[in-house]
Amino acid sequence: MQAKSSHDSIRHGLITMLPRLKRFADVLVGETRDGTALLGRALRRMLAEQNRYQRGTPLDRWAFSEIYRLWLHELREQPDPMRQAKADDKSFERLFGAAEGEAVAVDVLTAGFLGNLPPQQRCTLLLVYGEGFDHEDAGRVLDSPPDTVAARLIRASASLADRLGASTQVPPSATIEMLYPKGQQDHHDRTQ
Amino acid sequence: MTELSDELLVAYVDGQLAREQTRAVEKVLAQDEVIARRVAALQEAHGRLEAAFEAILASEVNETSIEPMRAVAALRASEPHRATPAKAACVTAGVVVVIVTAAVAYIWPLTLPDLGRWRDILTPRQAEAPTPSWHVDAARAQGLLSRASLEVGLESQGNRDFIAFQLAEAIGPEVRLPNLEPQGYRFVRAQLLRNGDQPLVQLLYLPAKHDPLSLFATEGHRDSEPVFKQEGDVGTVFWCEDGIAYLLAGREDEALLYRIAEKIRHEPVAPQPEPPPPAIPAAALPPFVADTPPPGMVSEPEAPPAEAAAPGALVPSAPN
Repeated sequence: MQAKSSHDSIRHGLITMLPRLKRFADVLVGETRDGTALLGRALRRMLAEQNRYQRGTPLDRWAFSEIYRLWLHELREQPDPMRQAKADDKSFERLFGAAEGEAVAVDVLTAGFLGNLPPQQRCTLLLVYGEGFDHEDAGRVLDSPPDTVAARLIRASASLADRLGASTQVPPSATIEMLYPKGQQDHHDRTQ
Repeated sequence: MTELSDELLVAYVDGQLAREQTRAVEKVLAQDEVIARRVAALQEAHGRLEAAFEAILASEVNETSIEPMRAVAALRASEPHRATPAKAACVTAGVVVVIVTAAVAYIWPLTLPDLGRWRDILTPRQAEAPTPSWHVDAARAQGLLSRASLEVGLESQGNRDFIAFQLAEAIGPEVRLPNLEPQGYRFVRAQLLRNGDQPLVQLLYLPAKHDPLSLFATEGHRDSEPVFKQEGDVGTVFWCEDGIAYLLAGREDEALLYRIAEKIRHEPVAPQPEPPPPAIPAAALPPFVADTPPPGMVSEPEAPPAEAAAPGALVPSAPN
C-alpha cells in the first residue's frame, strides 16, 4: 500500500514537472524530437526502477540526473559519440518554438551560442540560469564537482559576453587585487 | 586600471560573492569604466541565457492550448509548483509562468497528441500489474485441485457422446474430448467455466496415483505449436488448433505433458455426436455447472440441482 502510494506520488510529481523535464531533455539532446524520445525512455525507466529513488531527495534533481545518466549511457554505446552529441543550429532554434518557415522572435545569437556548446555545458547553464540550482545541486545532476560547474559558467558567460560585442580589454586571467579580505586571499591563492 | 578576472565578475553577476566582496567590486565599477562595461556585458549574457531558457520552456507550454478555467482548476488541483528564483523585477511574469507551467504540467500529457506515449507511461493503469491471461488463471485453478476434489462424492460422467455434444455447443465442433486411458488417465468429468465472456471448458482426468490432469479449451486464434510453461508447481502446455486454444495442466513434468499434448493433437476428432434422445427433454437438462470457480473465473449461473448430477458435473451421470 505504501509502495503504491509512493509510486503515485512519484508519478504525480513527474507529471507536474513534465515541461521542465522536457526542456532539460531537449536542451541536452539539442533538438525536440530526440529529446521527446529520450524523455519517454527516461520516464519509463524512472517508473520501473523507482525503488532507486531515495526519499528526501528533491524529485526534480533525481529526475534530471536520471535523464542525464540515460543520455550518457546511450551516448557511450554509439560508435561515434562526439558526432552524436553535436547539435544542429536549426534544430536547436526550433526549441524556441520556431517551426519550419515560421517567424518567431528568437534570440538567434544566444540560440546559436547555446547550440554550439557541448551538451554538458548547455545543461550546466540550464540548471543554474534556467532552474536556479546552486553549483552543488547542478554538479550532482551532471555528476561533476561544483568547481567544474563554476568553471563552465565562467567560460560560457565570458564567451557569450565577448560575442555580444561588449568585451573589454580585461584579460581573462587577470590578477585579483584587494577584493578578498585577509585570509580569503590566501585561501584563493592556494586554490589556484 | 584595475584588473579583475572574469571568474570574479561572473561570480559577482551571479550573486555568488560575499557581501564584502560585492561592495569591493561595486567600488571598482564606480571608478573603472572598462570593468563596468565588462560587467554590463556579463549581465547581458546572463540575462539572455535566462530569457532563452524561459523561451524554451514557454515553447513547450505553447504546444498546447489551455482553457483558462481549466488551467485555474488544474492549478488548484495540482501540488504547489516550485518556481525558479525570479528577480524582483520579474516577479509578476514569474507568477504567470508558474501558473501556466503548473496548469500545463497537469493537463499536458492528456492533451498533447505527440506525447500520447507519455500518457501511457504515466497513467496509473500502466503502473498496475497486467491482468493475467486465462491460461495463467487456469494454471492457478489447477493448483487448487486435489485428488479429493474428484474422488469424494462424485460419479463419473460416462455418457461421453453427450459431453462431446455439449462441448461442441459451447466451444465449437472441432473441440477434442481425448481418451487418455492408454496414458493412464481416466476421464472423470467436465465442467464449463467462464473466462470473461468466453466459455472455458475444463476436462478432468485422474491417474491411478498422483494429482489430476486438466485439459482446458476455449476459443483461440491462429494455430500454434505446443509451448511448455511452469506456473508454480503446475506445468502447462499451451497450443492452438482449428480455432481452439488448449491448455494442458497438471503437476507433471515437462516431458510427460508434451507427450500427452502430442497424443491429444494427433487423436482424430470424433464426428459431432447427435443431440441426446428426446426421452430426456433438453429443457430438463441442467446446464454446465462449475462447483468451485477458481480465482478469476466465474462459473455459469447455477442450475436447479438434478438428482442424477454429481456435484460439479457437466451433464447428468449415466451408468457406464
